[in-house]
Amino acid sequence: MNTSTARARRDQDNNEGTGNARLRPGETSAVQGVNPRITAGIRYATDGGIPGEWHLRIIRSSVPAGRVTGFQTALLDDEIIFLTPDDVDAAGLPAFGCQIADQTVLTREPKFVGDAIAAVLAPTLAAARIAASLVEVSYERAPAVFDEMAAIAPDALLVHRSHATSESDSAYFDMRPQDGTNVCHRFRIRTAALQGRQEPNVITELDDSDTALADAFAQADVIIDEVFHTPAAAHVPMEPHATNAQWVEGRLEVVTGTQTPFNMRQDLAHIFGLAADDVRIVVPPMGGAFGAKTFIRTEAITALAARVSGRPVRCVLDRDEVFNEVTRHPSTVRIRLGAKADGTFVAKRIWAYVNTGAYADCGPGVAQKMGYAGVGPYRFEHVAVDSYCIYTNLPPGGAFRGYGAMQSVWASERAVDLLADRLGIDAVELRRQNLLREGDTFCTGEVMHDSHFEELLDDAASAVGWEKDGDRAGKGVAIMLKGMQTPSKAEARIQLLPDGRYEVQAGTADMGQGASEMLTRLAAEYLKCDVDQIVVCTPDTDRVPYDTRTTSSRSTHMMSRALADAAQDLLQHGTVGHGYVSNDGGLDPDTGQGVASSHWHQGSAAASLDVDEETGVITLRTLYASSYAGKVVNPHGADLQNEGSMILGLGSALFEELQFSDGQMTNPNLSDYNIASALDVVSISHKVMQIPGAEVHGLGETAVPPVPPAIGNAVASFGYHVTRLPMTPERVLAAAPSHEQASPPVGHIQGEEGA
Amino acid sequence: MNLALRVNGRTIHADVEPETMLVDVLREHAGLTGPRVTCGVGLCGTCTVLMDEQPVSACILMAPLAQGTEITTIEGIPEDDAVVRCFDRHHAFQCGFCIPGMVLTGRAMVAEGHAADREEIREGLGGNLCRCGCYLKIIDAIEEAAQ
Ligand code: FES
Ligand code: FES
Repeated sequence: MNTSTARARRDQDNNEGTGNARLRPGETSAVQGVNPRITAGIRYATDGGIPGEWHLRIIRSSVPAGRVTGFQTALLDDEIIFLTPDDVDAAGLPAFGCQIADQTVLTREPKFVGDAIAAVLAPTLAAARIAASLVEVSYERAPAVFDEMAAIAPDALLVHRSHATSESDSAYFDMRPQDGTNVCHRFRIRTAALQGRQEPNVITELDDSDTALADAFAQADVIIDEVFHTPAAAHVPMEPHATNAQWVEGRLEVVTGTQTPFNMRQDLAHIFGLAADDVRIVVPPMGGAFGAKTFIRTEAITALAARVSGRPVRCVLDRDEVFNEVTRHPSTVRIRLGAKADGTFVAKRIWAYVNTGAYADCGPGVAQKMGYAGVGPYRFEHVAVDSYCIYTNLPPGGAFRGYGAMQSVWASERAVDLLADRLGIDAVELRRQNLLREGDTFCTGEVMHDSHFEELLDDAASAVGWEKDGDRAGKGVAIMLKGMQTPSKAEARIQLLPDGRYEVQAGTADMGQGASEMLTRLAAEYLKCDVDQIVVCTPDTDRVPYDTRTTSSRSTHMMSRALADAAQDLLQHGTVGHGYVSNDGGLDPDTGQGVASSHWHQGSAAASLDVDEETGVITLRTLYASSYAGKVVNPHGADLQNEGSMILGLGSALFEELQFSDGQMTNPNLSDYNIASALDVVSISHKVMQIPGAEVHGLGETAVPPVPPAIGNAVASFGYHVTRLPMTPERVLAAAPSHEQASPPVGHIQGEEGA
Repeated sequence: MNLALRVNGRTIHADVEPETMLVDVLREHAGLTGPRVTCGVGLCGTCTVLMDEQPVSACILMAPLAQGTEITTIEGIPEDDAVVRCFDRHHAFQCGFCIPGMVLTGRAMVAEGHAADREEIREGLGGNLCRCGCYLKIIDAIEEAAQ
């Protein structure tokens, strides 16, 4: 079938690593010949399979809250294997969760529409589909809560009766669940003068007067106080979640698309009562992930089905299931920002209400990142942040490209422009005046290093022809900082093969960001050899050393250094080299003091656009993002990551929104949920900012957060003060300046003068 | 029913239900992984194949309707094809899941002279989605291939 024998050969190589019964590792060398990603020469988890495997379909709750009272299965063929929560109990499988242990493999108390309550296993996918449709479920419905503000209200019904912190490595900071509430984690920042005061545990009202910390704003001449919203959004990896599992002599082997192979190994070992060494996770390249393929998704139920049936089992989600599997956290963020009349920022107060849905997943981590990213790259004397991770009866929120920073940067950078309007100071100048510079202290107590915010701001401003105190109609800028996973560890191994090539063994999963290409290029550079001499093995926990996970744009930064160590070690000691790096730190959950990030992702964006007064339609003339990359390993890859981030940010800004009716997602498909197409990218340009001699920085999501506020600020320059994403034409029109009022839109600000 | 389909210059036989979609026959019976299902409703283009040189969405085309036509998947495109090479040169891919469909759509646009400028290329790609967001480089690649 192949017209090229070279390709056929590569196909064979690649097949070995990903799907066959023996799970032999394959090679992917991304830089020789035509890249196999173009010619379908690589195998994703959805392509592979283990010979003889049966097919799993999950039966999902149709109620957002309640109890399953029975299953009617009389119509099922005899050969169908039907799994229920009783099987989970019989196997003695404990609760799990990456940060809070709040999930079970199958539940009899569903907490969202789509929760997994049972499963059918059949020899073919068609038979499994039919079987799933023949099972009838009866429920006792219970009241549900969907909105984060309703769920944090004092009398809200509880989605979970109690809170139990997970033992997993992914629970890398102290959790602060608030007993008797839906808050499974509360993260706070309190700069020095604001610590140790008597305060309520949970602030449940958006108009709370904040008496305990009000004096922080005493020096402010102008205060902006505003609430912003971001809805749930879908990751839409083009490849669905796909898992193949089998048990081989008491060991569990799982081939699955996951960004978190070692967390997966640990969590599955915990669930099935195994030693970590008795679980093997093999990760073929993913057809996109964007955060959706993190922690346990389809893996535990597939492994259980394989154990019960004694066969290999395959589970591939349908598109509507992918939509419901995990989402971006809907959020309500209130920002209070105070400055002196000359523009000097004085104090910032943030309340972030993070809707994590039915299960915490990594919501506590997202709440933390949302909390500090909302402070922005600015100097403040006083900062107080409360960020609440709140259970509701929506599908779970999880990691999503931008990881919480988008939601709070949207709010905080819009607030900066409102402040600039009120002060009558140019919005770029106001930012410049307050930016964190080298040696300044961030609200966490960290001293800034390698900071480039001013260059990034200037670059963005000039991309839209910003002139100081000039006419800014239709123009907007935004700037942001976000952290990288801290603490974390990365290990790499390089082995000299008998044929003289080097094999790189590293746990970095390839989800399209070009992991194997990055590893190939770096290894060749460190070993001073040709890229042809390097092969990269498929991430396989039996063969590669530990790595925390492929998230938060950490891999290029961390793995590059581990690989450099490994190369050094190999050059000194012969045939095998090991490298290890860790970044230490973490934030105190009650004061937010500590080390948020061992280095900072820094980015800016600018937009220039028109708004049609009649229709509310936004037409972009220029959308620009500038992201700090330090040293670039793979220039194409860096461009692609930056452009991809911008395009995702554009969708978030203008049209992406998951909708729900009584907890049921109403647009879980690509005809009702739009993502950006080639038609949307006309205006896009960008810069990957490099500094000679700098260290390698991650770039996987830096350009996501600044895009929505840059667009929002440009839209607001015409007087449309939109506070809710996405900025659909209806919302733009609804935010139109009323005729009596002159622009700028000060009439919409609930600002008040300070003391 | 018994189907005989011409795929990449070979004949594929499959015994399937008449309502089986072409993409399922190609993946499950012909062992071709280039056509992929993402949306399943004809909107994203990852299942694109050429039917008598015309791009079609194989996820919504019932397999029997493809009998008597010549189906080409990415596996049937030579590696030295101009569009393939331009995608490679421009590094127009990230995860790669959408790329075979992009290449096939781009090929048809180039062949029919519908890739005269970037505007026309963007229009032509309206039915091919890439969540990784590689559009700029994909447009670069097709633009160059058209020259
Ligand atoms: S899968 Fe066929 S068009 Fe999307
Ligand atoms: S390259 Fe990943 S979807 Fe296009």
